[in-house]
Amino acid sequence: MIATGDPSVPTDDPLLRVEDLRVSFSTEDGAVKALDGISYELERGRTLGIVGESGSGKTVAALSVLGLTRADGALLSGRISFAGRDLLTLSEGELRAIRGNQIAMVFQDPLSSLHPQYRVGAQIVEAIRAHQSLTKAKARAHAIELLGLVDIPDPARRVDAYPHELSGGQRQRVMIAMALANDPELLIADEPTTALDVTVQAQILALLARLQRERAMALVLVTHDLGVVAEMADDIAVMYAGEIVEQAPAERIFTAPEHPYTWGLLRSIPTLDGPREQELTPIPGSPSSPLAPPSGCRFHPRCPYAQPEHARTEPALLPVPGQPDHRVACLLAPEERRRLWRELA
Amino acid sequence: MSPGEPLHQAAGDPLLRTGSDPLLQTGDEPLLRVTGLVKHFPIDRGVMFRRNVGAVHAVDGIDFDVYAGETFGIVGESGSGKSTTARLIARLLDPSAGEVRFDGQVITALRGAALKQLRRELQMIFQDPYSSLNPRKTIGSIIAEPLAIHHIEPGRAARKRAVQELMDTVGLNPEHYNRYPHEFSGGQRQRIGIARALALRPKLLIADEPVSALDVSIQAQVLNLLRGLQREMGLTLVLISHDLSVVRHMCDRVAVMRAGKIVELADNEALYSSPSHPYTKELLAAVPGARWDRRTITG
Repeated sequence: MIATGDPSVPTDDPLLRVEDLRVSFSTEDGAVKALDGISYELERGRTLGIVGESGSGKTVAALSVLGLTRADGALLSGRISFAGRDLLTLSEGELRAIRGNQIAMVFQDPLSSLHPQYRVGAQIVEAIRAHQSLTKAKARAHAIELLGLVDIPDPARRVDAYPHELSGGQRQRVMIAMALANDPELLIADEPTTALDVTVQAQILALLARLQRERAMALVLVTHDLGVVAEMADDIAVMYAGEIVEQAPAERIFTAPEHPYTWGLLRSIPTLDGPREQELTPIPGSPSSPLAPPSGCRFHPRCPYAQPEHARTEPALLPVPGQPDHRVACLLAPEERRRLWRELA
Repeated sequence: MSPGEPLHQAAGDPLLRTGSDPLLQTGDEPLLRVTGLVKHFPIDRGVMFRRNVGAVHAVDGIDFDVYAGETFGIVGESGSGKSTTARLIARLLDPSAGEVRFDGQVITALRGAALKQLRRELQMIFQDPYSSLNPRKTIGSIIAEPLAIHHIEPGRAARKRAVQELMDTVGLNPEHYNRYPHEFSGGQRQRIGIARALALRPKLLIADEPVSALDVSIQAQVLNLLRGLQREMGLTLVLISHDLSVVRHMCDRVAVMRAGKIVELADNEALYSSPSHPYTKELLAAVPGARWDRRTITG
């Protein structure tokens, strides 16, 4: 199921379907269109990587699913269907019953997401008892079990630790344990390893991958790091200036990318086995301001292949010919794109 | 030693920097020689009666040489002591023990005028381009400040011309001389920091995580700038980073730090193709996206 403009109900619904989601915030400087009509789907047991730079809207794309972008002055439109219900139409109370229960979240900074004055066990117990009527003793036993599940050594003792007594990696494990407390169907992880050292990052990513496999959870992984999505994601959505500019199975993003922005990202990053002598190819300019996004194709001011008419026409996210899973929002002709990428690669 | 290794012909004899064994290079005096460098931070407890209860061994006895014209990388995780090392070399911190020799002179005990003179030759750029620039000063005066402090290019017109040349060198529009830091993006602010560091035409530039606060599409701009400047100006560069890919791209030789010690120091090619210390291997194995690297080769 690729075409998202068609509202007719398909036979088998994906777990999560986001359609034409628009989010804007009013600020002192004017309205910020954080998301300008994005659509994506996620099946049970699969991982979607949302990649983008700061200000691309990747975090808003994920937080909106949990209703965490509902705020004074925020305008949301579109549809977010989760297991058949439209989350955008739910009341705050109905949403609270889903949040932390069927949909859970792991944030970037485990230190500021944990309460410093409560023992980690108490915080996990609170998460459990928010959605399940268990006795404190049973919830505590479950918390210990969860800490073991995320590979915290000696969980029966660590359950009584305060956040400051744990390392950054262990805190993120606690956050993951808390997120798993009610066996969610969907886990949203926003830059879950960005604050961590590279060796700890590898452990946390391996943990997330294992838990996702064992529990057949759907995982949305938001990150700026293409390496992380390469490691983890089945599908990747590349975001730029509030829009998804390319979406495809992970392998195609790395072997046959279609959007000049994706090319730019891939070519600007030093790798562990690329040619060292070669200069990196930076993307010229800076990411556009969400206050005043460029007209037409949002990427045109930075695109080396932009034509004058690209400043006027907005590209739609359309399937690549012959690749129904691969969608791109680019005004260049498909054969032209293919030729350009062959030259670059 | 790969014959394709790029050499910085601009400064000195390139052969002196190509050997994989640092001992082979002692025919020439290195620009920077670090010997037995130690930095302990005391841990004090108690509010009224502060007492010393121990010390953090941030840097715990390290030795390395940096040769003129090379890019020397120090890579490590948080707490490895890499930034403390940078600050010790730049004399922003005083060592607990050991010696740093720059251009043949012991700099660890320099004071007053001699230290000020050292600053002309040894400059540093910092990770955070937001907090390292004074928000109330125009970028023209930020970049001119080292010139003013060292009484170089006196006279407004000459100084302005020097600053605008620097701005042009680092890819900033010289007409933005009178703007304030908040009007610039992160990448541009890092360019301002680089222009300020270059104002005194230093011999050695220490860059502590120069791109880790920047967006991925901007990192390449700053890395290319540093590499270009280094080649054109014959700069010697010490690059501190947690990012193994960045260090591999930029550096001729690399020291891997862990818990205040250098666990491995090798030529770039040797370190990345055949790491010998288990910790280096662990670090390299932990870099995400190895799957993707293989894909780009086979794909």
